[in-house]
Amino acid sequence: MNQFDAIIIGSGAAGGIVAGVLAEAGKHVLLLERGRALSFADVGRDDLRNQRLSLYGHNAGPELLGNPRVFVDPHGHSQIVRPHEPDYHNNAACVGGGTRVYGAQAWRFCPDDFRMASKYGVPKGSSLSDWPISYETLEPFYERAEWELGVAGDGSFIQHQVPRNRNYPLPAVPPSPQTVALKAGAKELGWVTGPVPLLINTKPYGGREACIACKYCVGFACPTDAKNGAHNTMIPRAVATGNCELVTGAIVERIEVDERGNVNGVSYFADSVGQPLRQSARCNVVIVSGGAIESARLLLNSQSSHHPHGLGNEQDQVGRNLQGHLYPRAYGLASAQVFNGVGPGVTIATTQFNHDNSGIIGGGMLADDFIKPPIDFWYDSLPPDLPRWGLQNKRFMRDNYTRVMHVRGPVQDIPNPEGRVTIDSTVRDRWGIPVARLSGTTHPATVDSAEFMRERGVEWLRASGCEQVWSSRPDLVLSGKQHQAGTCRMGNDPKTSVTDEWGRVHNHENLFVVDGSLHVTNGGFNPVLTIMALAFRSAEHIARTLS
Amino acid sequence: MGTVTEKQLKTLRALLDCVIPPDDFPGASEAGVADYVMRQLESDLADKHDFYCSGLDAIENETNARFQTSFANLTPEQQISTLKLIELGDVSTSWPVSPKEFFTLLVNTTAEGYYSNPEQGGNRDAISWVMTGFDTSRNHEPI
Repeated sequence: MNQFDAIIIGSGAAGGIVAGVLAEAGKHVLLLERGRALSFADVGRDDLRNQRLSLYGHNAGPELLGNPRVFVDPHGHSQIVRPHEPDYHNNAACVGGGTRVYGAQAWRFCPDDFRMASKYGVPKGSSLSDWPISYETLEPFYERAEWELGVAGDGSFIQHQVPRNRNYPLPAVPPSPQTVALKAGAKELGWVTGPVPLLINTKPYGGREACIACKYCVGFACPTDAKNGAHNTMIPRAVATGNCELVTGAIVERIEVDERGNVNGVSYFADSVGQPLRQSARCNVVIVSGGAIESARLLLNSQSSHHPHGLGNEQDQVGRNLQGHLYPRAYGLASAQVFNGVGPGVTIATTQFNHDNSGIIGGGMLADDFIKPPIDFWYDSLPPDLPRWGLQNKRFMRDNYTRVMHVRGPVQDIPNPEGRVTIDSTVRDRWGIPVARLSGTTHPATVDSAEFMRERGVEWLRASGCEQVWSSRPDLVLSGKQHQAGTCRMGNDPKTSVTDEWGRVHNHENLFVVDGSLHVTNGGFNPVLTIMALAFRSAEHIARTLS
Repeated sequence: MGTVTEKQLKTLRALLDCVIPPDDFPGASEAGVADYVMRQLESDLADKHDFYCSGLDAIENETNARFQTSFANLTPEQQISTLKLIELGDVSTSWPVSPKEFFTLLVNTTAEGYYSNPEQGGNRDAISWVMTGFDTSRNHEPI
């Protein structure tokens, strides 16, 4: 029997950090990852099969076969979906999780993002709540994440909204022609803008090279390892201590409890050819870091006589409040070329509308976008009134690929308890484990916010010199995807939350959830830096409890 | 899984050049998109192989009924006017597959072959990347 201080399930943004902190604190750690460690070549540069455009597959797991989910549409029709299909709400399953292939936007949430219910009140049908911790509590851990992993940016432009004690370790990415146009447009509107913070080495940092400004960033791996994720920062540090055993291809079936109902280990299937090989390991603490969908699934699947509805689920809270981000976007045709082939491409943002907008709850950040390979652009970015075929379509691609400006951004999700993860009663994965069933939608108030932000995007592009501007209205859908969050929310009241402020599951001394599942709300920003900051904070706490 | 007949391939090539016609830059056919489509019909789109081939045959039927000749022999104007009707589902013969669905799949697969990375089988010599300006001949190759 393998005995560990801690078993961490999932090696993404959170799990990798928890592993690093615990291993460096001298704890004996087992880090279980369902996917594989992927090299740059493994991830590749397939335009049709990546985490941004997944037409026929993707490049960072899970495997298309054997890993189904069930999706229930707003009309109640359910269907089995595969990992590359949009309704699967996939995040990468590999060492590093989503950070292996993310765009690496490294935003902090605003102080108001932690007190949404107090600030706005709770709309009917929503479970909107304050966090049990404040921005000020998390601030030192944001700073730690920025410095330990490496973030490039300049926080001065939002210092009044997001006060920070220390600037970023690396200078922001340089401006592009699009930056110049958007900056001028924003100035005309009286909006404040600044560079997008990125977990990317604009200079060598942490023993890794600098970004070479290639055109394949979001959705792909970095050729110079300049994109900082769990896989190339905290996980190597964890392994280097000799205290962390990383096992890939490990599918955790359930969290085990002893005869008194206390968590004492996990059982998992090891990577093997042919028949799956069941393994078990014992530990003092289990940390679930599988992402908002898989973490909820594992807790719900860990049923026992003591816990007939799964672990932490006495109040039917596990899996509820699934959030992500609606992503309003607008496109405009610039009068001159704005594309210069210099990646990553995302350079300028405004946080003017994250809060205090009339008639909506919250708001969001708007920024330009990563470079899109032409086929991604063809699917995503063409004007809706342009014919999809023929010479006119080809001419548009020829003349305007380098002239289309694009702004987009994540909108603060207003949580709906009916947007949720449950366990499907019949469909199982290739190991025989019941799969996640996704149902419901975000709250309608989120759509109002998305529409408001879409209008701001249109306004920004017009002011930036685009005569032709296009965009489409947001729909009421389930949000989740790569920004998935909220399914094991932290809180002080066990009736309305799953964990305490440290991620410790209520009524369990030694079971923690540490990942986006904890987010009570998901901010109007890309959530990864908040996931990382929470992971540092929880990991320090767990290390103390193990001492 | 199956193959594409010579006749179907001829129809396909003519269709590809309607979806992305030649001008200063090659059309979809010259750019190798038929290779991309055939590769897909034997892999990711294997379950659509029969659907796709039935659509190609149906285009020939439709053209024969209207013009008493093969699609590839029509003038460009005749080809475009025929496809505009098919795109709307306004067909005069009996189709074994939905004309609209077939046409959407045709257009999408043509664009995929033409604009995606050349290793997919289309976009020969990265010609669409030169055309769009994506390939600024700067570091598009993995290191």
